[in-house]
Amino acid sequence: MRPFIARVFILLTLFPLIAFASDRGKALNPDISANFLGLAQHGTSYSDDRTVVPHNGLTLQEAELQFSADVDPYLRAVALLAFAQESGSADYKVDPEEVYAETIALPVVTLKAGKFKMALGRHNLLHAHAFPFIDAPIIHRRLLGNEGLNESGVSAAALIPVSWFSEFTLQALTLQNDALFNHYTSGEIGGLAHWKNLWDLNDSLTMEFGLSGVTGKNQFGRKASVLGSDLTFKWRPVEGGKYHALVWQSEYLLGQRPGLTDAVTSESTQKLGGFATWLQVQFAQRWWVQARYEYVGLPHSPPLAVATKESVLLGFFPSEFSGLRLQYDWLQDRARTRINDHAIAFQYNISIGAHPAHAY
Amino acid sequence: MKYLALVLLAGLPLPAFAKINVVTSIPDLAALTREVGGGEVEVESIARGSQDPHFIEAKPSYMLKVSKADLLVLVGLDLEVGWMPSLIQGARNPKVRSGEKGYLELGPELDPLDVPKGKVTRAEGDVHPNGNPHFWLDPLRMGRAAEILAKRLGELDPAHASDFQKRAKDFSEKMKNKVAAWKKRIDKTGVKKVVTYHKTLTYFFDRFGLENPAILEPKPGIPPTSGHIIEVIQLMKQQKIPLILVENYFDASVTKKIIGEVPGSRSAEVAVAVGGSESVKMIDDLYEQLVRAVEGK
Repeated sequence: MRPFIARVFILLTLFPLIAFASDRGKALNPDISANFLGLAQHGTSYSDDRTVVPHNGLTLQEAELQFSADVDPYLRAVALLAFAQESGSADYKVDPEEVYAETIALPVVTLKAGKFKMALGRHNLLHAHAFPFIDAPIIHRRLLGNEGLNESGVSAAALIPVSWFSEFTLQALTLQNDALFNHYTSGEIGGLAHWKNLWDLNDSLTMEFGLSGVTGKNQFGRKASVLGSDLTFKWRPVEGGKYHALVWQSEYLLGQRPGLTDAVTSESTQKLGGFATWLQVQFAQRWWVQARYEYVGLPHSPPLAVATKESVLLGFFPSEFSGLRLQYDWLQDRARTRINDHAIAFQYNISIGAHPAHAY
Repeated sequence: MKYLALVLLAGLPLPAFAKINVVTSIPDLAALTREVGGGEVEVESIARGSQDPHFIEAKPSYMLKVSKADLLVLVGLDLEVGWMPSLIQGARNPKVRSGEKGYLELGPELDPLDVPKGKVTRAEGDVHPNGNPHFWLDPLRMGRAAEILAKRLGELDPAHASDFQKRAKDFSEKMKNKVAAWKKRIDKTGVKKVVTYHKTLTYFFDRFGLENPAILEPKPGIPPTSGHIIEVIQLMKQQKIPLILVENYFDASVTKKIIGEVPGSRSAEVAVAVGGSESVKMIDDLYEQLVRAVEGK
């Protein structure tokens, strides 16, 4: 039996034990929810080989199972298992995408330990089903990999006593991220700092500004780092807010990867920066239209080419628990062999189970 | 050192001169807390009266408010399930976590209506498994809520416990007397059945003997479809339903077509929370406005 099928079989055999427990037991069961993303896509640069990610045609992009509950009077825990296609194979693998415990009884500060999405900017904290577009920005994928910066670690996030919302987070993390560190010596840890600020400009409009940075030793034994900044404006009118909203978000990342070189010329490819900026407009209760512009190569080491990408998206959300999105991308990469790619993707997003508490 | 001091002080009772800092999920509960708490409380609501309380965004600035609260008062019954857990976790205030003295959910204590029987499924829309949460539209349940709230405020500030109880009792009595008068006025209109946009006014109708045989949403949370509106029009004609009340955070434009198709019918946009319109400043104003809407004033 293939490993994936075996894992699904074990989960399915465990589910009835949870679902049909006694009423008393049920009351203490964790909140359980499942989410999955289906995708139909075609891109001029996508492969027709089903073992390559991304490939043309229909695919289950990702499925997630989430369990969350208070552990005791001091802690709550979240376990989120993600099922996604393994690159180089048509099989799916199970990944403990986020498994952590965090404090609930401490004033001012939240301590967290486990494996979780690191607080580098805003987009890196999102799960695939909550991405504003079907894919993550290019600069995030180039610097942090397809799964983002999602490591084992510990975290302390404290509220700063000022008149606006200001939160400072410090995190220690393992250095397994393939894209940035790829450093597997146990005992080596990296550090991350994030400062998040949010102001209510009026009852309908907020502005959020954040600065973050992560550093740690990479596979060449040298310090790699990513610095980031993010700026978000969100407008949802106090009256009529069910039908209209606007979000404008921008995020910039600058990566320094000493030791990385171009495969052909052996020149250094240490430096790479880029940004993504996008606008999301809700024009009816269940409809959104969105546009995104990305620029990668600001700055960049000479062997790395500048790339730009433009995307537009139309989203329809029949209810809080389902969504349909159609996205078109135009990618231009000014590499030695100039690339001019087009892609179109249709995604459905389904959630069942416990009602999620939405992040802002 | 400042934070260490906060940790050490967290378990101590409030000093005699300090006001109780109360944060409520909806403005009606803030108004009720002012009625009961008088000058001994500072109150702030997260939601505004013009917002649908199911869909408030969990702004970090709201976390700041909750972080400073001595008491968090909620409707419960899953009304705030999409946003309040994020605010509580982000607030880092152990005083207002579920199970603590500073956390009060009123809905489950007030005999909820519309509790689903049998299997609960989202094929029925965004249902509330523990019952309809809109209890604040029943004046008598708000009277009982005042008494529960007074008890909790008294636990937080024992020196003023009797003041809280007296104000709650006065409020409860006032509601009982007013309900009798409002009931007479509604009975006089001859209106027996009302269509609404969402099942928001269930408790108000239950208290005043009105029926709500049709909802403009085909299922809770799903906007009206043309096919469903045709069914509503037919039902209004068959059952001679004279009135549509639209909660004023919904788009009322669909009612124009219905009114045109159903002779003798009328519609009104109504506030369903304190602060939902300029004239609704207090809890009494909310019910008075609804009674006047039924009267056609």
